[in-house]
Amino acid sequence: MLSSGALGPAAAAGAAAACAPLPGGLNPIWLAQSKLRRRRFDEAIEICSAALAAKPYDQAAWYLKARALTLKNWLDDSEIEEEGIGDALLEEAGTAQVARPGTSLARPSGGANAPSSSGGGSSSPAVRPVSHAGRPLTGFARPGTSTRPGTGARPGTTGGAAAVQAALRGGGKPGTARPVTSSGRFVRLGTASLASEPGGPFINAGRLDLRKYAARPNLARVLCDYLLHVDNDARRALELAAAATQAAGFEDWWWKARLGEAYGRLGLLRDAAQQLASSLRNQDMVSTALALGRVHQRLDQPAAALALYADAAARQPWEPGLLLAAARVKDAMGQGEEALGLYQQVLAMDASSVEAIACLGAHHFYSDQPELALRHFRRLLQMGVASAELWANVGLACFAAGQYDLALPAMERALAAADDGAAPEVWYNVGQIATGIGDTSWAAQCFRLAVSLDPTHAEAWNNLAVLEARRGSEARARAYLRTARAAGPGAYEAHFNAALLAWRRGELQEAWGAVNAGLAAFGAHPEGLELRRLIRAQLTAL
Amino acid sequence: MEASRSNALIHQLYVRQEYDECLKLVDSVLAETGGQCEHAIYVKALIERHRGRIADSLRLFQQATALNPHNVGRSLALLGKHSQAIEVYDEAQKLAGHQDWELWHAKGLCHAQLEGGHEAALECFAFANAIQPNDATYQRISELHAARGDHGPAAAALMEALEHSPDSADLLASLGLLLLRSGDAQRAFDQLGTSLLHEPRGARAILADHGDHDAALVKYRVVAAVEPDCPQLWNNAGAAFYGKQRYIAAIACLKRAAYLAPLEWVTAYNLGLAHLATGQAASAFHHLSAAVNLRPDFAPRQAGGSGRAAVVWAARAPARSYGLMGVALARLDDPDNARAAYARAAALDPGEPSFRLNHAVLLHSLGDAGGAAAQLGAYWEAAAARRGAPDAEEGCQDPDAAEAAGALARALGLAVPSGAQ
Repeated sequence: MLSSGALGPAAAAGAAAACAPLPGGLNPIWLAQSKLRRRRFDEAIEICSAALAAKPYDQAAWYLKARALTLKNWLDDSEIEEEGIGDALLEEAGTAQVARPGTSLARPSGGANAPSSSGGGSSSPAVRPVSHAGRPLTGFARPGTSTRPGTGARPGTTGGAAAVQAALRGGGKPGTARPVTSSGRFVRLGTASLASEPGGPFINAGRLDLRKYAARPNLARVLCDYLLHVDNDARRALELAAAATQAAGFEDWWWKARLGEAYGRLGLLRDAAQQLASSLRNQDMVSTALALGRVHQRLDQPAAALALYADAAARQPWEPGLLLAAARVKDAMGQGEEALGLYQQVLAMDASSVEAIACLGAHHFYSDQPELALRHFRRLLQMGVASAELWANVGLACFAAGQYDLALPAMERALAAADDGAAPEVWYNVGQIATGIGDTSWAAQCFRLAVSLDPTHAEAWNNLAVLEARRGSEARARAYLRTARAAGPGAYEAHFNAALLAWRRGELQEAWGAVNAGLAAFGAHPEGLELRRLIRAQLTAL
Repeated sequence: MEASRSNALIHQLYVRQEYDECLKLVDSVLAETGGQCEHAIYVKALIERHRGRIADSLRLFQQATALNPHNVGRSLALLGKHSQAIEVYDEAQKLAGHQDWELWHAKGLCHAQLEGGHEAALECFAFANAIQPNDATYQRISELHAARGDHGPAAAALMEALEHSPDSADLLASLGLLLLRSGDAQRAFDQLGTSLLHEPRGARAILADHGDHDAALVKYRVVAAVEPDCPQLWNNAGAAFYGKQRYIAAIACLKRAAYLAPLEWVTAYNLGLAHLATGQAASAFHHLSAAVNLRPDFAPRQAGGSGRAAVVWAARAPARSYGLMGVALARLDDPDNARAAYARAAALDPGEPSFRLNHAVLLHSLGDAGGAAAQLGAYWEAAAARRGAPDAEEGCQDPDAAEAAGALARALGLAVPSGAQ
């Protein structure tokens, strides 16, 4: 079995000078396999390249190299759902333009539009702030939840321009661009990964006879993963997977799952759902269930996703990933209380789940238990998470718990750790603390810093306006409120304050428009409803 | 013939609030008559106004204006063009004579919105009421008086209105709150109680605190179901819990109120009070300093209010904040700043005895017998003045305070003045 040791090093030296010579007498294939197992992908790739240069048709070397390349470029996308602008705007998968409340992510049942029958739950927008898209803030920033355009603002229904604006703005931080389409992003990723390979692409997928590969299941699987994750060529992967499924007699769950993934990348969501469901019927797998759930969410069918997760969790009771996914959907639907129980179950299984701890901490903070929230945040700090956001949360929880001497140092740390994206939020929160202490001029300074870093920070503009109005300069307050309303249509406070000022001045037209905009963002706002009642009484009087 | 039949139908649709249907009919009628049907235009304008499109409605009214100047004025007023509206109303009065109370009322509203139009507005409202008394007019009059701080005439206007409609929960609640603000607690609660009889869920009336904390808490629970995010509600509930000496519950409620409305100085003040009661002097100091910062108008006001510590009705608040801050600072072993706080409190409200006594106790504990004696003397003086005052409250002569003053006097070797016990 041992090949002559001289061959490998000589060839390798020709390919890459940096490659260390093989230890004497070692089989390069065995060594490459060992390196692959130890996740030293670059070394494995080099050894395989050398072996292939000597023997171009060495299947073992080809297999190992494809595997190493795939693993090197592997992106665990089970947690990522980024919708491009095009996907969000031109979505045609949704079935109902105006979905019933509670059946669509665009119209969550709880939160902003729910009647406040729950007796002041912590997900009321008056207690818990909302994101740009009008959702209650969760304790954990997730890519998927913030990008979907807000309530009913789909083109063709109301305000197409507003929908485009919302889609372009996204839910992200200032200065982050959002891809035009998600498939375009994959194409870029593909070219990037290929360009980094010396000597051109390893496999030229366009020239392969995929049907021939489909008949050889072991090679075909490696090739399929390579196409999906290195080439990012979902179309060729789809062809290969379709042929291979056929060759396997439509009984192989693995191929069906890959078919589903390829369909999903191409934006053919219905086909993807069909294949993934079929794969799940063949073999119950957590990853397939998670993928199918994500497809359901992209189709705007949160109820289907929840049912799927619950079903899968009953069969796999030890898997925290399913519970977390269900909790995320609940959060996005504005059912924070139900998500809470799921997070607690997740923590029982996986005591170091950052997401669950962060969400529980945020929940305790918003339900008037800052001391409990502080314990959760401290646990995160102990686990080594030290982001600006976390320090800001620690500072706010300390402040709410009355520990002023700890709150300000925590905020200082947050500012030191903050990048451009987090800094406006941290300054905004420092401003809240300043307001709580009663130092309004310091608060105004903080809010001004926040808007200088992020001119679309609607809440900071609104608070600036309130402080100005307190000081008596109403004209400036009005200007700030106008900016706030343009920057964040979801911030009901700015609409309401603008309406109140207009009402006091007797300009009912402006007041009427503003109060209605505010109620569109938060339908159960009691003061807003009262103001609308007063204005309507004026309008209907003869 | 044709037009009049349509008019009846238009009117019927309008009063049934079937606006879409009505607009369709109006448009067809207008197309038939070439835009000459006055009633159709009028109804269309009204519908537009109901829907909040005042500018469109104004344009329509101007089309139909020749016969009805009142609505043009109203549209202008709703758009905030008050002086223009007044001109239109003047013209209308020339046409219609001066016997239309609505025109007077509307003109009063416009004057009230203009700067310096206070007297003119009151005059207009008086004319309107002379022609026909009206609840809305009385309420505006009362609001105008109250905005200037004239509580007496404001209450008088409301009482006159109540003679005409004694069952109006709204009027009763307004009157109750007004009386409460002017310090007449007993009558205020009578009025508010009557208001609650007529409208058991009226939040405004419920929110005024009664002396009876348990009853108040029951009522707050009713409001909490309707408006869970109302900061005033949580503040008052916290105050009620404080009155029942359930301090933890009080602090929880007050914290929620402070979260919902961080700029309310009353909440900060109450939080300071509650923290003092639980012995957390540092937190109390922070909340009291917030209360002082948030209430920049330091001018001492006329004493009034219901004298209960938990329910502070706008009076003497800054002075009390400083007085309590002195207590907190004394507990924190910072006598210099505590003395400064007491001095500030005494300067803001010279008639209040409690700061003097606390100051005297502090000075005594510091060993400054002369200063303590001076402050104690000031205390007796203020307490005697308070007792002799016509609006003497039962709360101002606290037996505990008198006892402490007596003990201090004995310690200092002073004679207790007669009548102070």
